Amino acid sequence: MTNENLIGSIVNHDIYLKALNSATSGIIITDNKLPDNPIIYCNKAFEKISGYTYNEIIGHNCRFLQAQDRSQEERRILREAVKENRECIIEIRNYKKNGSLFWNELIISPVTNDAGETTHFIGVQNDITYRKKVELEIREQKENIERKIVERTKELEDSQAFLASIIQTVRESLLVLDSNYQVLSANSHFLNSFKVSEQDTVGKILFELGNHQWDIEALKMLLTKILPTNNPVIDFEVEHDFPHIGKKIMLLNAHRIEFEGQYKDRILIAIEDITDKKEIDRRKDDFLSIASHELKTPLTTIKGFVQLLEKMVPDDSSEKFRLTLAKVSQNVDRLNNLISELLDTSKIQSGNIEIHKELFEIDKLIHDTVENLTIATPENQIALKADTDALVLGDELQISQVVSNLISNAIKYSPDSKKVEVHCNRVGNFVKISVRDYGMGINQQDQSKIFERFFRARHIQKKFPGMGIGLYICQEIVASHQGTIWVESEVGAGSTFSFTLPIVEK
Amino acid sequence: MICDDDLGILEVLEMMLELEGFQVYTESNSTNLMQQIRQNTPDLLLMDLWMPVLSGDQLLKTIRTSPELTSLPVIILSASVDGNQIAQNAGANAFVPKPFNMDDIISVVKSTLQN
Repeated sequence: MTNENLIGSIVNHDIYLKALNSATSGIIITDNKLPDNPIIYCNKAFEKISGYTYNEIIGHNCRFLQAQDRSQEERRILREAVKENRECIIEIRNYKKNGSLFWNELIISPVTNDAGETTHFIGVQNDITYRKKVELEIREQKENIERKIVERTKELEDSQAFLASIIQTVRESLLVLDSNYQVLSANSHFLNSFKVSEQDTVGKILFELGNHQWDIEALKMLLTKILPTNNPVIDFEVEHDFPHIGKKIMLLNAHRIEFEGQYKDRILIAIEDITDKKEIDRRKDDFLSIASHELKTPLTTIKGFVQLLEKMVPDDSSEKFRLTLAKVSQNVDRLNNLISELLDTSKIQSGNIEIHKELFEIDKLIHDTVENLTIATPENQIALKADTDALVLGDELQISQVVSNLISNAIKYSPDSKKVEVHCNRVGNFVKISVRDYGMGINQQDQSKIFERFFRARHIQKKFPGMGIGLYICQEIVASHQGTIWVESEVGAGSTFSFTLPIVEK
Repeated sequence: MICDDDLGILEVLEMMLELEGFQVYTESNSTNLMQQIRQNTPDLLLMDLWMPVLSGDQLLKTIRTSPELTSLPVIILSASVDGNQIAQNAGANAFVPKPFNMDDIISVVKSTLQN
């Protein structure tokens, strides 16, 4: 069939033409026998897709749709298909007359005559720009997500490695258990402290570790009885004699994970070995106790001889002589008080302080204490108001020690003011005893520390003698009487120390 | 009779008591004490707690279990924290903490002798 015949036969078939023009796909026919395979027919949809008119299209090779975009792989596929006279489907970037890009899904099929020659190609085109755009977006999103997953995985790995290195670095033993008390992990401090290997630890039940070395009653109680209802448990002391490493005193923090997820019901245990700390504390207390005992022995002798001297002072001796002797005596007493305070501190630390509790009138005790101090230091004005008529159960001597300690401090740290006020009031079920001075005051930072043992504010260290245990003892005494002690102070304006004691109703 | 390993204390106590007119024997070696007591038969014993070899409470227990000495009045002197407790447990008649006042010592000695 000649070209004319072919076109003629199509043109003649009005109904086919209408069908072709009704299609939404662009359809072209090219003549493979003419040079450069020109387009000899296109339908309306092709005009619409390409933006060119019929007249502008006819006679051209299809490649005019590629504009300058000539390096696409699809061109090669197309060229080979045409050369080998076979069908092919490609998706190729094409350009409309106005230059705008559209993605063209192009299907070409060869038309063969009876002699087996390819006479024509039929090209069907679909504008798939929208689909391509969506596909591209999906691909970009997918790539984006994949990239993010890689990043997050890296971050997770990094932070896990970071966490692991923290856990391996801390100077405290850490264990992770599952809800059946099986060890899931143990850090290197645990392994080193308890001289065990990771293989012997991980995967084992805690209580069965090292031939049941860890079968500790207190630990069992903590994990099975206390932790389920009290979470977390802080500073739980456990003492245990381990066969190989000896007696250990451990301070445990236990935390059961409550949030939902894969870690739920796991148990974290941090173990601090306080054996050495306890031993040092004990030695310090022993030292204080022995030192003060040893210091008191020669002091007893000095005091005794001074008293003997006082008894033996001749009647005609000078006033100066008597005064000198009195000074010696006073300072021996001062030294004795200092040593007693040291001893008190060590008694408190070892829990040996004795409390002889009896009912007494707090007003009277304060009056007596103030009176004694007034006799000792007549140059100070101690203003006193105590009329609570309250009874307190406690150790009179110790409470008196607290009051006189606070008043002595008030005098000591107010070198430029001689005025001290002592008040005793009822506050609910308590009596509140306050000692106010108008001295140098205490800065905010030191206020929280002054009740600590051996604490001395830096700037007073050299100006005022003392060992930093008076307030510590006061606090311990007040606490053992179910009261509290505190300070309110302003630098340059003075301080008010107050403490409370529970009232026993008559 | 006074027993203390510290010679200074021994001396000052001796002077104090002699000033008050008491006849005083002193012993600084705790291992000699029982022999000294038997030899001098004192009316009262003033004794330290912490002494080398034999401690005050050990000696006091020996005294209390010796038939002829069981009622010997004993006053314990100590600078130790729990001295009072130990003295009472061992059967002392009185306890005086160190450092002591001369007046306290004299009055405790006198009242113990009266009882």
